[in-house]
Amino acid sequence: MNDLIFLIINGITVASIYGLIAVAVSITWSALGLLNLSYGFIFSFAGYGAWLAERHIYGEPIFVMFMGIAAGVIGGVLVCLLVFIPVHDKPNFTIRGMIGTLAVSLIGGQILLQNFGPKAKLLPEFFGYGKIKIMDVVLTADKIGIIFSSIIMLTIVVRWMKSSRRGLEIRAMMMNPHAASIVGIGVRKTGIYVMAVTGAMTGLSAALLSQTYYLSPFSGLTPMIKGVSIALMGGLGSVRGAVIAAIILGFNEALTTKFLGGRYVLMTQFALIIIVLIIRPRGIAGILDKAREA
Amino acid sequence: MSDIKTKKRKTWKNPLAVWGAKGGNHEVPTPEWKNPHQIWRDTKAFKVPTTKIGRFHYEYKSSNHGEKIWNRLRWWPTRRTILWTQGVYNRKSLKPEKIRKDKRPIFWFLSLLALAIMPFILPDGFKNSLLTAGGIFGIYASINLCWTLVIGTAGIFSLATYAIVGMSAFLTTWLSINLGLPWWMLPMIGMFVGLAFGVIIALPALRLDGFYYGLLTLGLNELCRVFITTSHAFGAASGGLYGADTFVDDNWAPMTQTLVQYYSGFALLIAALFLFRFVDGKRLGRILKLAPEKKEAFAEASGVNYKRARVTVFLISSIALGFIGGFYAAYYRGSAFDIFSFHTVIMGLAMITIGGIGRADGAVAGTLIIVVLDRVLVELGPYRYIIIGLIMMFTILFLKNGLFGIRKQFRDWRDKKKGEARSSRLERGGEMLPEQATEMDNKDEIYRKRYDKMQREFLKTLICDEIIEEHKQKPLGQHSEALERVCYYFRRGAMNDKYVVKCEVPFKKYKIMALSGVRGRSPRLVEDKIYDTVEAAYHGLFLRRIQDLMEA
Repeated sequence: MNDLIFLIINGITVASIYGLIAVAVSITWSALGLLNLSYGFIFSFAGYGAWLAERHIYGEPIFVMFMGIAAGVIGGVLVCLLVFIPVHDKPNFTIRGMIGTLAVSLIGGQILLQNFGPKAKLLPEFFGYGKIKIMDVVLTADKIGIIFSSIIMLTIVVRWMKSSRRGLEIRAMMMNPHAASIVGIGVRKTGIYVMAVTGAMTGLSAALLSQTYYLSPFSGLTPMIKGVSIALMGGLGSVRGAVIAAIILGFNEALTTKFLGGRYVLMTQFALIIIVLIIRPRGIAGILDKAREA
Repeated sequence: MSDIKTKKRKTWKNPLAVWGAKGGNHEVPTPEWKNPHQIWRDTKAFKVPTTKIGRFHYEYKSSNHGEKIWNRLRWWPTRRTILWTQGVYNRKSLKPEKIRKDKRPIFWFLSLLALAIMPFILPDGFKNSLLTAGGIFGIYASINLCWTLVIGTAGIFSLATYAIVGMSAFLTTWLSINLGLPWWMLPMIGMFVGLAFGVIIALPALRLDGFYYGLLTLGLNELCRVFITTSHAFGAASGGLYGADTFVDDNWAPMTQTLVQYYSGFALLIAALFLFRFVDGKRLGRILKLAPEKKEAFAEASGVNYKRARVTVFLISSIALGFIGGFYAAYYRGSAFDIFSFHTVIMGLAMITIGGIGRADGAVAGTLIIVVLDRVLVELGPYRYIIIGLIMMFTILFLKNGLFGIRKQFRDWRDKKKGEARSSRLERGGEMLPEQATEMDNKDEIYRKRYDKMQREFLKTLICDEIIEEHKQKPLGQHSEALERVCYYFRRGAMNDKYVVKCEVPFKKYKIMALSGVRGRSPRLVEDKIYDTVEAAYHGLFLRRIQDLMEA
């Protein structure tokens, strides 16, 4: 029982990181109609930003984490300027945008490889090495920190989207981009906000994941694909759905590891996603009519 | 007007002098005047700069024998001609001519011929590396043709193409190693593997649409990669699974091996092109062209079962991809894990987008470009991926549908420019805008107005102090050419608002009036000024007309 709880906590830890990327993918798709497949690049970019900050500026873990978020913002805005703004009014925008983000991630990955080499880098532990024991379950500071910082980030983003003027603009774009542009909400300006916020989320997830695992030019790929799958299962465009899907997939990962073995995690995960999508083609929280028509 | 005195004074010969009219001199002096033909030439001139481009005028037309029916070659046993030829008559010479309406078969034939004779014309230094790359090109081009069938023809945005090829390659390699299957069995078994995977992957495609499906297949690709790399059966350690039976004999000379590989890849490409042509160009393709994205409801209402057609195309191309997977295994004796990587998917997408999505020529040309960059220019190192990425960016930023969409894009742009140029030279039409001209019943009126405008432009250049002075001296009688032309124009003006002199008291009081131009409606007085003599009244009337002319 104990190791099941341990695995579930593990699953939730990983899911909270992937959930950040999932929410980022989800918001980008629903607000901008951009299928951003360059989050892998933004992830590595933010990770290397944090690593550089730790090396050259200041080694305090919290500072490094915030530098990772800042680098994520820069990466997101970069993708917005390179792909979204020139392409958003062209015909076949969705496929163009997707290929553009792929091209950016191809070029960016190679540039990172050129500058930093293929050797993996490690970020410092942000949350120290403390441990708490609650009813026979040992919780490391690392895991608690990851879960809480993701939840804080997500809460800030959701509050910001709910209560601020910019958030109102983004939500208007999600509901109906044409009407939003008619009432004077600038598509390009909103694009920059959206990409900055989602870049910050990716940057946080990069900083959090790179301290546990490692950082390499292409290490963002797996988190991105996982994030995309979670976003897909939760329903593109829905933050709530993405959170539910992340939790479900985290549980799934824990249970599969426990009863079938780690090799079958992806198989059960995709079986689950396919089943959910066959029942609800727009994901758990996606509503057919309200989903964005690309 | 002011510089008129500096000009040389000319004389005007009076053509009416022979009649011996009073005061009808043979010659009178006249001020400098402009040739009236000049304004006609200026108006008619085509002022917009043009370059020698065009759709029809510079198209090659072969001459046609007037008596003999064309020698039409046909694909036996169909009635289909080899080249789509249209007979036209030359507009100027009226000679019969032939034009090839669709030259793509010629280009396809020439490029495939170039590929076929490539091994014999390559220099020895590059031969080996280029032929190896050529074999890879054949395989990748075939995969991309099948992918084009899925994305372009069927409209299913699947990113799991390389996953099907890879699964087929791995399974057939495994079977070949463990059951000792000969190489020719591998593509056959691969077809079944492809069909099985096609069915599994096609199931969600029925429910999901567009990019939801694309993201799902991206995940499936990752699933296959993780499954293959972590499973013990498929050689987790060695970076791939090798050891399948192959059609290339190790005992042959190295060049023979390369040649066999090259030509087998070439044959696969030809087969894939035939598949593309017979799926995309025949019934299934026609059905799906009626049901493009977002027009499915219309297609359904027209009685087209587009879903069934989509899935059929998807399954056909999955079988073909399985075949290619088996061929791949027999070609390389196995397969590397690389085929499942995200990098391969990006490269594949680059191949089909650079050429233009949904076109066979685009898929093949894009593959050629990427394979040359990726496999031939290896010494560029990682820069070649940056170049590929930049080409992709260029394609999405500036091209409508890849390289092979440039032709249409250029023509659209040229037509737009032509339209702009046409609207910029509206003044050629004279007083009337084209939309007014269509509503005018009497078309002569359009030409009259145009002529009238030209004439007034010309007459304005003739008005100077000298002719006014000349008219003041002698309102009636023989004038210089400039004044005579102005007077002729005034005299034959329209009746409405034409100025006339009214005699109030003979030899004492004259006034200027304007005719109404309508029968029964009396003329109106235009000014209260009283002229003492009829000559002064004539001149006053002349001045008013000049004023009207200069103001118009």
